[in-house]
Amino acid sequence: MKGIGKALSRTPFAVTTKIGMAKRSADTEFDEYARHFGNLESAADKLIKDTKAFCDAVTALFTSGDGYATHYSVIMTPIAGEYDLIGKHPDSGHTIRSQDHYAQAMKELKELIGPELELIESRIMGPAKEIQVVMKTIRKTITKREHKLTDYDRYNNSLTKLRDKKDKSLSDEKNLFKASPAILCLELEQDFEVATNEYDYINTALKQDLPRFMMLATQFIDPLFSSFFYMQLNVYYLLLEKMNSFADENKWDVANTSGAQIAGEYEEKRTDAWQRIEDLGVVKRIVSVSRLVQASRAQNGGAPGSLGRSNTTASSSSSLKPAAPPSRSTSSASGYKKAPPPPPSLGGSRGLSPRAEPAPPPPYTASSSVGSTTLAAAAAKRAPPPPPPLKPKPGLKPKPQIQYVVALYDFAAQADGDLSFNTGDRIELIQKSESAEDWWTGRLNGVQGVFPGKFLYKNSFQS
Amino acid sequence: MSWAGFKKSVNRAGTTLLQKTGQIERTVDREFADEEAKYRIFEKECQALQKDSKAYWDAMRAMSAAQGRIAETLETFYGAADQSSEGAMAGHAYKRSVDDLDSSFNREMDGPFRTTISEPLGKMCAYFPIVNEHVAKRNKKLLDYDSARSRMKKLIDKPSEDPTKLPKAQQEHDECKEMFDMLNNQLIEELPQLLDLRVPYFDPSFEAMIRMQAKFAEEGYEKLSGVQRYFADNVRDDYAAGQLDAQVENVLQEMRELSICGGN
Repeated sequence: MKGIGKALSRTPFAVTTKIGMAKRSADTEFDEYARHFGNLESAADKLIKDTKAFCDAVTALFTSGDGYATHYSVIMTPIAGEYDLIGKHPDSGHTIRSQDHYAQAMKELKELIGPELELIESRIMGPAKEIQVVMKTIRKTITKREHKLTDYDRYNNSLTKLRDKKDKSLSDEKNLFKASPAILCLELEQDFEVATNEYDYINTALKQDLPRFMMLATQFIDPLFSSFFYMQLNVYYLLLEKMNSFADENKWDVANTSGAQIAGEYEEKRTDAWQRIEDLGVVKRIVSVSRLVQASRAQNGGAPGSLGRSNTTASSSSSLKPAAPPSRSTSSASGYKKAPPPPPSLGGSRGLSPRAEPAPPPPYTASSSVGSTTLAAAAAKRAPPPPPPLKPKPGLKPKPQIQYVVALYDFAAQADGDLSFNTGDRIELIQKSESAEDWWTGRLNGVQGVFPGKFLYKNSFQS
Repeated sequence: MSWAGFKKSVNRAGTTLLQKTGQIERTVDREFADEEAKYRIFEKECQALQKDSKAYWDAMRAMSAAQGRIAETLETFYGAADQSSEGAMAGHAYKRSVDDLDSSFNREMDGPFRTTISEPLGKMCAYFPIVNEHVAKRNKKLLDYDSARSRMKKLIDKPSEDPTKLPKAQQEHDECKEMFDMLNNQLIEELPQLLDLRVPYFDPSFEAMIRMQAKFAEEGYEKLSGVQRYFADNVRDDYAAGQLDAQVENVLQEMRELSICGGN
């Protein structure tokens, strides 16, 4: 209650000083100390905050180091049902064999670091918090000094005013200070004296003790800094020591080299695994399943994956079986240059149902080919195609007959020398074999190449 | 979602329901299930590894940055009173070495860490959503296939009046089977390849990682221990003996006794 009364009586003065109507006394010496003290206060706050950040970072470093090692070693050990990774990847044997030790070392480190961090917590953070408490009391004293200074200035101002007036006109005095101005003046003088004493006392105390406190703060920070330094050094030491002993035991060379060298040697050791993963089908985005199906038909017949296409042979009897899941049949069809892709799902239903009619092409092929071409294609499949006019009878046909075939499906080149075409293209047939299972040679738009005979509607156009 | 997509998902939801109630037989593919289970473990581990590697890097950075800020704060403490004391000199040397450490570490290690750890992991982890898309697609096609098969079987068991129905159902069944088989075979064939390739893929990262860890520790240790010579000779022993803590306590006590602290 007393505090509120004081605060209220001080408020008008605070306002008038702000707007420059009343004077404030300044003590430059004290202000200098107060400024330093303010710096120290914020420094202490920062010290606590950063020490905490440091501890958190160290904790995170060792926790994530342990986590990294654990997960890495899981990845490098056989996953459910796998066996003998080293046998399969002898080059990675060294890494794989080191995993247990590595994970172990990181786990130990994480445990080792615990006490060290506790030390920082209790020996650095603790005292830093204590000094914060001390600073808070000093701050209180400084605030008190401010109040006392306000009182001092307030009374001082009033007194000055009153005296000014007294000097100016004695006649006014009668009107203004009817209630005996002399007494008023006396009272003010008394108050002023008290305020002066109080202010002087606290100001002197502060001016005396603040420099001492600064000295003490330096004395305080010296051992604290040294302690922190050694604790920090120990963190690095623990890590270094563990890494070195791990490297020694497992024959890794961890001599300090530049980061660029580490990256460079990494690049050298990088295997073709990157490319091989990139080449996998499952890591490519699916655009449309139907297109994938087509591609796989073409690929499985033609050149499945990395196997050379020359030694790939599709079963020549595949026309009797459902063609749907293109299998990597190994039955050889000797004499064929390469195996053609099976036709898209033409015979699919035949094997399953004896009373099946010629199946229409799958809905995902171009709709224009539905109709006569379908039937013709199916027919062509059932009945062997007419023998190609490889040897035109001389005399009867003076000019070599040009034969055209119409593409039933899109075909994208699988390798050099393949002829790409779209559904409906007319292809000039240059060479064809007896079987539609084989690759034929043709020309389209001036480009000559081979393509799977099955992709074509063979009711040839002649010119 | 397109109208066709919507129809598909409604149909598939129906199939799932019928499978749950046992109306439609569900295809169980042990081979795929095994591969998928392994792949899931791999996926999980890779993602955890990515998280930890990022945390590790961030922690190294944070540690080095916090050191720098602490060194700055120390200078403020010394700056308040005595700037030429032994402690202030040591603090200054300390600040120089941690700044040096921070900048050289960032400059030298940022690129290599990314090349050898973050990028391979990021690349691998970026594959997972695509692979999962394949798996999801395969599962959808499996539902289509199951439902087409059950429709066809029903027609074979109970031939319909309309003779075109069965061929149509068969046709549909074959198509579904083809799509499913293709996706399924691809996954069964390639998932083990992907898993197998992880070994050569991640192998070089290991050596790079331990070398960088060792480098971080070694440089930190070396640069910091250089500051020691600015300390008075007895400091190290005092630290070991716990003397420094006592000093701190004494100073604090002295502070509390200052008149401005409420003591007298």
